[in-house]
Amino acid sequence: MDYFQQRVPSSYFSEKILLDEFSLFGNVLLGLVLLLNFYPIWNSSFELKDKTTEAIILTLMSTAGFMLMVDSENFMMLFIGLEIGSISLYALAGINKGSLLSNEASLKYFLLGSLASCVLVYGISLMYVSLSITGVYETTIAISFIGIENIPLTTLVGILLLIIGLLFKVAAAPFQSWAPDVYQGSPTGYVGFMAATAKVASFVVLARLCIVSLGLVMDKFELFFSAIIILSILIGSLFATVQTDMKRLIAYSGVIQSGFILSGITSGVNGTSASLFYLAAYIVQLIGIFLIFSVITGELSSDFSMENLSGLFIENKYLSICFSIFMLGLAGLPLTSGFVSKFILITNLWSYEKYILVFALMLSTVAGFYFYLKPIWIAAIDKPENSVPPIQLKLNDKISVGVLAGLTITLGLFPNILINISRWVVQNYL
Amino acid sequence: MGIKLSGLIYTLILFPLFGAVVIFLMPKKRFELFQPLAIFLSIIPFSVCLYLFSNENSKGSYQQFDSINWISSYGIKISLGFSGMSHLLLSLTSILVLLSFLSVTENYSKSKGFIGSILVLHFAVNGVFLSGDLLSLFIFFEAILIPMYFLMGIWGGDNRRYATIKFIIYTVFGSIFIFIGTVYTGVISYSQTGTLALDYVTLSNLNFTSQQSKALFLLFTFGFLVKVPLFPLHTWLPDAHVEAPTAGSILLAGVLLKVGAFGILRVSIPFFTEGFLEYRDIIAILSVIGIIYGAVVAIAQIDIKKLIAYSSISHMGFVMLGISSGNLLSLEGAIIQMVNHGLTSGALFMLVGFVYERRHTRRISDFGGLKITMPKYAAIFLFTSFASIGLPGLNGFVGEFMILMGSFGTYKLLSAISAFGVVLAAIYMLWAYQRMFTGEINNEENENLHDLDTRELVSVIPLLVLMLFIGVYPSFIESYVLNDAQIITNVVELFSGGLN
Repeated sequence: MDYFQQRVPSSYFSEKILLDEFSLFGNVLLGLVLLLNFYPIWNSSFELKDKTTEAIILTLMSTAGFMLMVDSENFMMLFIGLEIGSISLYALAGINKGSLLSNEASLKYFLLGSLASCVLVYGISLMYVSLSITGVYETTIAISFIGIENIPLTTLVGILLLIIGLLFKVAAAPFQSWAPDVYQGSPTGYVGFMAATAKVASFVVLARLCIVSLGLVMDKFELFFSAIIILSILIGSLFATVQTDMKRLIAYSGVIQSGFILSGITSGVNGTSASLFYLAAYIVQLIGIFLIFSVITGELSSDFSMENLSGLFIENKYLSICFSIFMLGLAGLPLTSGFVSKFILITNLWSYEKYILVFALMLSTVAGFYFYLKPIWIAAIDKPENSVPPIQLKLNDKISVGVLAGLTITLGLFPNILINISRWVVQNYL
Repeated sequence: MGIKLSGLIYTLILFPLFGAVVIFLMPKKRFELFQPLAIFLSIIPFSVCLYLFSNENSKGSYQQFDSINWISSYGIKISLGFSGMSHLLLSLTSILVLLSFLSVTENYSKSKGFIGSILVLHFAVNGVFLSGDLLSLFIFFEAILIPMYFLMGIWGGDNRRYATIKFIIYTVFGSIFIFIGTVYTGVISYSQTGTLALDYVTLSNLNFTSQQSKALFLLFTFGFLVKVPLFPLHTWLPDAHVEAPTAGSILLAGVLLKVGAFGILRVSIPFFTEGFLEYRDIIAILSVIGIIYGAVVAIAQIDIKKLIAYSSISHMGFVMLGISSGNLLSLEGAIIQMVNHGLTSGALFMLVGFVYERRHTRRISDFGGLKITMPKYAAIFLFTSFASIGLPGLNGFVGEFMILMGSFGTYKLLSAISAFGVVLAAIYMLWAYQRMFTGEINNEENENLHDLDTRELVSVIPLLVLMLFIGVYPSFIESYVLNDAQIITNVVELFSGGLN
């Protein structure tokens, strides 16, 4: 870390690319997501007819695009990175050409995603037109130069549209409507990767934007962000309780988790560090759950209802224990990373005196215990009615699921290292 | 002294967890070894508790033993602490766990999951009683849910799904208030000490404004009262008790209900005394309503297990009345009554379990004249019922008498009303006894029931001995609760004097 401390933030390509703590954090997380998902995707791509290389190339392309996105200082570079990443994800969603659901998911994701990109680009252009801002640091300088009272409305609208474009990618309500359909339709083995990369990149960029660029004008957006957070929690909790499809349930749980992460990012520097911890802990659980799903029904199939889980405990105890750990982690039970991340986040929110948000988040936790425990009940407690299809657990899946479950517990018992890392990311802005 | 006290305390927390790991690693084919191994594994915490009776510290007031850095950048530590009250409740837990392992039948003892869950539950409950800071208290408090979820979910009755979800949702709903309270205290602690220190020693040195104290008292107490349970928050309890397997019911009634009252005595009253003085009247009124309501509803029950469940609401109402009265005698009585209720309701649930194994029914009307076929069982049941009613010479009398005496000084009318709870207890327990055990055998299925065997006798008689022991020699147990009750009384008197 000392090595980087002397060098960051350093910029390249005439200040279009930036290497600061945020981009390091984002790149490492994106690399881990790729590492954990690459072998299953590689392996399943051989089952696709004539498309052996496409899935692999698209996976690598989207990681490269999102890495470019978190490294970008310039907003146009951000847009290019986002598009490289997203377009690869649109194609990945429809990689299983024979499946109608997969095609539907791809088309939906593409149409709504490109609309969001348009909004984002329009926001960037408004910022340029009004104050000739093109980058993260320029925004800070421009705002402090012109004074908070004199910021033109056009700039504020531009910033707002840029943020909305990013909120679409993290599926925060009311921009969440694509997520359940895309999660449900895409091949199961790819959803974990698709969800995790987009979330990591967009949240890291949002965090940098909120802390570095908008530190002075965050007050103007407070109401907007509070509404987004409350809506995300409300819509996520309400819809998650009635889902019977597991992938839709995880999608709505992702909406809630986005609300949680946003609440930290938008409330200050300490809150952001708590959110980054939360993000890392959540990504671990998310990837783990989708790995388990893809082991059960195969990487390329799209369907995964709750019945697919029944009898998991009898068929494979290892998978069902790991699955329970991930779900309890999402619910935020103590001894898992979910509890530590919620505790730190809520403590920071309380110290910023955001009491309404705290109560809303805590109520959603209660609702969470209802819908996170339901799949555990089906997987581990209920006796299966039909015969359980055999599960072939490959060694690599066994190792990655075990590592992720172990991480969930380890981060819950010894959270010190990751917390220190997440504080190191924001230390310059304290 | 050769053995260090902190070593013993770590053993009490970690050994059950180690035991659970051992059980889970056992080969599945050797299921006949599970029960003996579990009994052996639970004898060790039990003997540690017995050994602690010889230690002077076990009578003392609260004392912090160890403190581990958990999240260093926030200054959060995990601390362990111990007092006479914790020691009594730890002993109660370890004896109930040991006896419930003795009492489980083959259906359960073959299952790793069942025995492992009980050991994990033992770990979590010991953690609550030994916690030295708010965060570890909360962590262990929530950790209780995991083993209970599986115990009730897998081995529960027909309606277990509803009961389990209800139990979990109620507890989680209560515990988010504890969580928010913990966060709030942490922020106050941060503003005064510069770290998020939450251990009880730091808390006792913090200055809370009157408003903060009231808010924090409400947050913490609400969470704990769901677990006690106090009258309007009790509805999870009958379902959970009825649907849980016998060993689960024993521990639920015997130990888990004490966790809530323990939290109020350890956290809510000593640190947030102003809030306590503000809201004690409401708690006292609700607990008297609970005493009478629980007893009246118990009279009307047709299911013997549900009857005992409602009697628990009534008995825990006495505990809460004693706590809210806040003087030395009533607080001592409340802590003793917590132990008493653990012993009697644990024994009653165990006895109901024995007859349920034979007849697979719990309806009172299905029985009748059991005294003829099962004389030993009938005698033990009558003894336990007397203890539950509060017959002089048995443990129930000691606790309830001290509570009523103590609370009469603070709430004259309320304690007079709650005395009727004792009469109502006699009605529901003795009437149930009469319907189940006396008279002729009406149902021919009851004719061939065999009496209690040695294993069953061994698992229930230690509880009867303890009931008698506490009943005839209460000053032994009183010496262990004196210091805790004294400290709370001092704090309450200090603040109520300051307000006048």
